[in-house]
Amino acid sequence: MRLFDRVRPAVINGLRELQANKVRSLLSMSGIILGVASLVAMVTVVQGMVGNFRQFVDAMGGIEKITVVRELLPKEQEHLAELSEGLTMRDVASLRRTVPLVRNISPEARVGYEKIVHDGREFSTYVTGVTADYLPVAKRWVEPDQGRFISDLDVLNMTDVIVLGSAVVPELFPANVDPVGQVVRIRGRRFTVIGVLNNIEGTGMQVRSASSRSSGGSWRWRNSGAFIPVSTALTKYIGNDRLTGLGLRIADPEQLRDAVEQTERTMLAAHKGLRDFSISTNEQTLEDFRKTESAFKLSLGGVAGISLFVGGIGIMNVMLASINERIREIGVRKAVGARGSDLFLQFLAEAAVVSVVGGLLGLLVSVGIVSLMNFILTQALPTGAVAALDWVIMGEGLAFSVVIGLVAGVYPALRAAKLDPIEALRHE
Amino acid sequence: MPPLIAIRGLRKTYRMGDENVHALDGVDLDFQKGEFVAILGPSGSGKSTLMHILGFMDTPSEGSIVFDGEEVARLDADRRAWYRAHRVGFVFQAFNLLPRLTIEENVALPLLYRDGTDPAANLAAAHAALERVGMSHRLGHRPGQLSGGERQRVAVARAIVGTPSIIFADEPTGNLDVKNVDRVLELLGSLIKEGITVVLVTHDLSVAEKARRVISMRAGLVQEDRVR
Repeated sequence: MRLFDRVRPAVINGLRELQANKVRSLLSMSGIILGVASLVAMVTVVQGMVGNFRQFVDAMGGIEKITVVRELLPKEQEHLAELSEGLTMRDVASLRRTVPLVRNISPEARVGYEKIVHDGREFSTYVTGVTADYLPVAKRWVEPDQGRFISDLDVLNMTDVIVLGSAVVPELFPANVDPVGQVVRIRGRRFTVIGVLNNIEGTGMQVRSASSRSSGGSWRWRNSGAFIPVSTALTKYIGNDRLTGLGLRIADPEQLRDAVEQTERTMLAAHKGLRDFSISTNEQTLEDFRKTESAFKLSLGGVAGISLFVGGIGIMNVMLASINERIREIGVRKAVGARGSDLFLQFLAEAAVVSVVGGLLGLLVSVGIVSLMNFILTQALPTGAVAALDWVIMGEGLAFSVVIGLVAGVYPALRAAKLDPIEALRHE
Repeated sequence: MPPLIAIRGLRKTYRMGDENVHALDGVDLDFQKGEFVAILGPSGSGKSTLMHILGFMDTPSEGSIVFDGEEVARLDADRRAWYRAHRVGFVFQAFNLLPRLTIEENVALPLLYRDGTDPAANLAAAHAALERVGMSHRLGHRPGQLSGGERQRVAVARAIVGTPSIIFADEPTGNLDVKNVDRVLELLGSLIKEGITVVLVTHDLSVAEKARRVISMRAGLVQEDRVR
């Protein structure tokens, strides 16, 4: 309580000094303002990028996805090309039997970039043959009121059914028509629409407004596409049993390495030792990204740290100048009974007030910077790396500026406290 | 009645280069309660040093000071600050009001450095002190808006706000015109009625003669101590 009684007038006094020397105070704050603004803005933008990339990786199936694609044989096996059968449904069966770590296997057979026709309207998109396992592997779903996805029975019976991406629907059907149950044509063959895939929007990064969704959001590419049973694709379009790739989803991301190894062994055995496939995961991408992230954080943290340091020196400088100007005031205060500690507190509080006000202004500037960056990024990037300001980061930025202000204020305040009252009163 | 201040064998020695300068070279003096005293002397006589030591701004090199029954010659800085805040008032030649504070805040300033004071009570005390010096109509003004004589009256109010035992006025009329000189000296002289000891430090004989007792100093020694 007693300390508070001493601090309160010191803080009020600091605010008055600030008000009395607006321009000088603003100049002394500039370092802190820029430091806090850059610290908060940079951390925010980096975090936004991190969040964005996490979503991107997730959209690629996340860390628990293993992708197997067909490859040309390596040089030393080129003479065995005739034996290569590519990826087939037999691989799906053997993987299912021998790799228990894999929970879902999604065979994918790309028909191609096809024109889909309905009632005089047409739209071209990628048509892919899949099974029911596509959903868990791709982390997609069909909303309950949007029909259903391709079932095992569809694959078994080679039915002519199709599931559309949500971005395809408005291109083929008027707004008031329920696409489910409608018939579309691909290369003259009739397909019944049985469902529409969920609409992917970058959650947490509301880049586009709802009204502009249909005109193409940043996730449009993920909402395009059309899916038919893999058996239908192979027999009625592709004409052989070769798949484009396999998507595997493992049960436990911790066991990714083991799962990859098991997959590789099984595939090699099934392919009689031929290396006509490659296996990839999102792990490396994520790892690369983590490195980039920490490099970013380090360098930006360094920049912000340096500007805050400079800001601290600025405050110290102005405080020293201010004390030099107010030597007489210090003398008077001492003469009427101020202790050294009273003056120490007074000038420390002044430095703290300058840094807090500077920090608050810095936060204001950072809001501007982040808005500007969001604006630029949404214009420039298809995925729109967008960052949202976070109270925690802003709080940290402010706390940082207060600490800097206090540290910078200690030396000038000590000088004020140690002044000899007689000398100070004589000062002209 | 014991004196308010009794000093014995007071010496203050400064080191200037290789030489020792004796600003005070053995001073013995008593100051009574409610006494109006002038310390007269040219610059370098030791009168300012004496005032600083008696005003708890400085410490002697040797000797004893008994203030209101307590030996105070060897107090530490914080304890001396306590005495300045509670027992002593200063009036300076240059007024030394803080330009950013209002008149009432300037006057209340000494109370700020006492423990457990409340701002409202401090301002009330400041108003009373300003009333006493006839300046209660300028509470919210800044020192820059006042004339020299008015500023010095405000400074006197600041000196008496904490009901000190002794007030040191260091050339209080040096920056004033003739009319205000008399007014301020009269004001200072009237404080003794409240039991305050007033010590006028000056080099100006005509000013010193307003006091009942004049102590003349020269070369760090009391040359003459006479009561009219």
